[in-house]
Amino acid sequence: MDNKMQFSDILASTLHDTKNSLGLLFNNLEDIIAACREQNCARHHDFYALQYEIQRLNQSLIRLLSLYKAEKSQLAINVDYNAVGDFLEEVALAHEKLLASRGIRIETLCDDTLFWAFDRNLIEGVLDNIINNAFRYAKSLVKLSACVENGYLALLIEDDGAGYPPSMLINENRQPRFKQEIDFKTGSTGLGLYFSMMVAAMHTNAGREGFISIVNDGTSGGGVFSIYLP
Amino acid sequence: MKKVLVVDDFFNFRLTLKNMLRSFGILYIDDAATGEEALKKMAVRRFDIILCDYNLGPGKNGQQILEEGKYRGQIGYSTIFIMITAENTSEMIMGAMEYQPDAYLMKPFAKEVLEKRIKNIAVKKLNIRDIEKAIVDCDYDHAIRICDELIEQKPGNLSEILKLKGETLLKKGVYSQAAEFYDGILQMGSVGWAQLARGRVDLLMGNYDRAKTTFERIIAQNKKMMPAYDLLAKTLLKMGCPKEAQEILVKAVEISPRALLRHKTLGGIAYKNEDYKTAEISFRAAVEQGKNSCYRSPSDFTHLAKTLAHGEEPQEGLRVLGHMLREFPDNSDTRLHLSVAESYIYTKMKKNADAKLALSDAEKFAADLDEDLSQELALDLAQAYLMTGEKEKGIAIAKRIIGSHHDDEEVLDDVRAVFKEIGMAKQGEALIENTRDEIIRLNNDGVTLAREGKLLEAIAYFEKAAAYLPGNKIINANAAHVLMLHMKQAGQTPEGLSKAKTYLDRVRKIDENYPDLAALLAMHRALASGDDHGQ
Repeated sequence: MDNKMQFSDILASTLHDTKNSLGLLFNNLEDIIAACREQNCARHHDFYALQYEIQRLNQSLIRLLSLYKAEKSQLAINVDYNAVGDFLEEVALAHEKLLASRGIRIETLCDDTLFWAFDRNLIEGVLDNIINNAFRYAKSLVKLSACVENGYLALLIEDDGAGYPPSMLINENRQPRFKQEIDFKTGSTGLGLYFSMMVAAMHTNAGREGFISIVNDGTSGGGVFSIYLP
Repeated sequence: MKKVLVVDDFFNFRLTLKNMLRSFGILYIDDAATGEEALKKMAVRRFDIILCDYNLGPGKNGQQILEEGKYRGQIGYSTIFIMITAENTSEMIMGAMEYQPDAYLMKPFAKEVLEKRIKNIAVKKLNIRDIEKAIVDCDYDHAIRICDELIEQKPGNLSEILKLKGETLLKKGVYSQAAEFYDGILQMGSVGWAQLARGRVDLLMGNYDRAKTTFERIIAQNKKMMPAYDLLAKTLLKMGCPKEAQEILVKAVEISPRALLRHKTLGGIAYKNEDYKTAEISFRAAVEQGKNSCYRSPSDFTHLAKTLAHGEEPQEGLRVLGHMLREFPDNSDTRLHLSVAESYIYTKMKKNADAKLALSDAEKFAADLDEDLSQELALDLAQAYLMTGEKEKGIAIAKRIIGSHHDDEEVLDDVRAVFKEIGMAKQGEALIENTRDEIIRLNNDGVTLAREGKLLEAIAYFEKAAAYLPGNKIINANAAHVLMLHMKQAGQTPEGLSKAKTYLDRVRKIDENYPDLAALLAMHRALASGDDHGQ
């Protein structure tokens, strides 16, 4: 028997365990919230804040494992040809309830016939992270949309909040060749951006690489995060 | 009423999932904590929906449940199988490209997400159903037509339909069309399954250099794309590089150690390369991982036993065979495996009397099995005869194997290896040459009769030839062909149709990708439906 255990295996197995617990917490909370609502308890809203934290924790864990694997060149990318509209709707659905608890709507806008080649898992991780931020900053709306621009698939997340602070704006002219060092002192935000950039760059096609951009020119008045995939 | 099976090692999570399902109005819910338990339940009841955690602790994982369920027909194309995971699933997807669940769902998830997933999948399954049916009927043109119609409509599961279309083109044997099709997909991005399939097309077309480059590139981009290793090894074998093929598979099992079939293949290649150390490690892994697996076979044990016979303690091999007898049902097949391997080991131990005794047992069991005797076991039997001095019997069996596979270089290589091991390489080569010439002549004579319009003579000729060589695909295909050509002129008869069907079924069993098979089946379908314009 080979007893050599890779650290990524240990991480993965710990993650599995932890996520089982998180899953239970998340779903049990859901039952509690439902019961609370039935009894007209005004505090059921507070529980949503707990669910939100669980989601954040969950995403951090996934990101941690992905970044660890990337560091060890073990992070795999599996590109398939996806229905973009379906994909965005599924992402939105996962966040709908929690956002609604804050009075925020989530909308998707995408042509049904739009298909693109990308790694669904990795991109979902990127979008989840941004949407979770919008939970804190949006006033009443988060909009997910997709379109094709100069041969890239552009996935956009905009909200109607006050926009990103100037220090967080990235690649405002949406340049494909853009590269930027990320300041990790900003904590999880920096890590989230680093992860987004890495995932974007992992998507290549015909010599072109994916990239991201963060600007404050959204139609809803707030910030716009975009990821461009060749 | 929908029947649902929930598989998770964590009691509380099963409970949560069951509560979610009940809230959707699902009443019939069963659960299992381990893969073994899940498979037991799947064996007695057919479930419509299976929600299965990937990581089930020690024992089988979710992927194995999926594979075994499909292998045993308990998971059909109408079954909804959702894999529940804790982490990024790309790696799982790449580890097993051939057997994919309908969806992956990452923990934790809201019940709305689960409900929507199940509904979406149910809708999508509908458009796949007719394609799968046409493929099962070998009506490839029809399958391709449905695919094309759907592709036009761009449904949500477009990727799946594209995959099916490509597979159908390969089955139909139109390789250059398939190549063009996959190139089209690859222009849209580096879609993993399309890259693999594109390499497979080159492998099937015999463009080994290009196939090799393709698979190497896939691996360079993506170390975890496991099927690329298997295909690269296959390509290297075709190119006559068994050492390199072994190296590739050694790398693959290092990256992904839980892969029974890969261990078997690696063991076989290493054995032929006379690297008994590596062969032993692989065969041991195969025996170990084969416990309760649908892919296990007595040959896992006999291969290990034979490998050990090359080491310092050949009697260790006999012990392994003893284990085998306890693990498998006591029938002629198991006994034949045992006796043939025993005979081999005793010969290696220079106990010739014991070897002969074991072989006389083997002879009885082989007679019991008769037609059911597998090609691999038959070759082992031939080897045992050759080694114990009963050359005529050994050569007769070897000749029959060569006759059935005269154009299959892989099988012929196995035959060569057997003769080489006992120092009869030259005789082996001569036997292959002569038998091959004989078959080609036999076939050509029949074809000439048909060309000259002597169809009745050709039918009688091929009928005899097919009885002599029931395992030869070309002879059987031609037997069906001349019979059907005759029926096209003289009218179809039920006996004629049924005879032709028997020949075609044999061809399909031997080689599903036989180039003319699809056309011959189409011809048969046309005749059977009374449409004599069909071809």
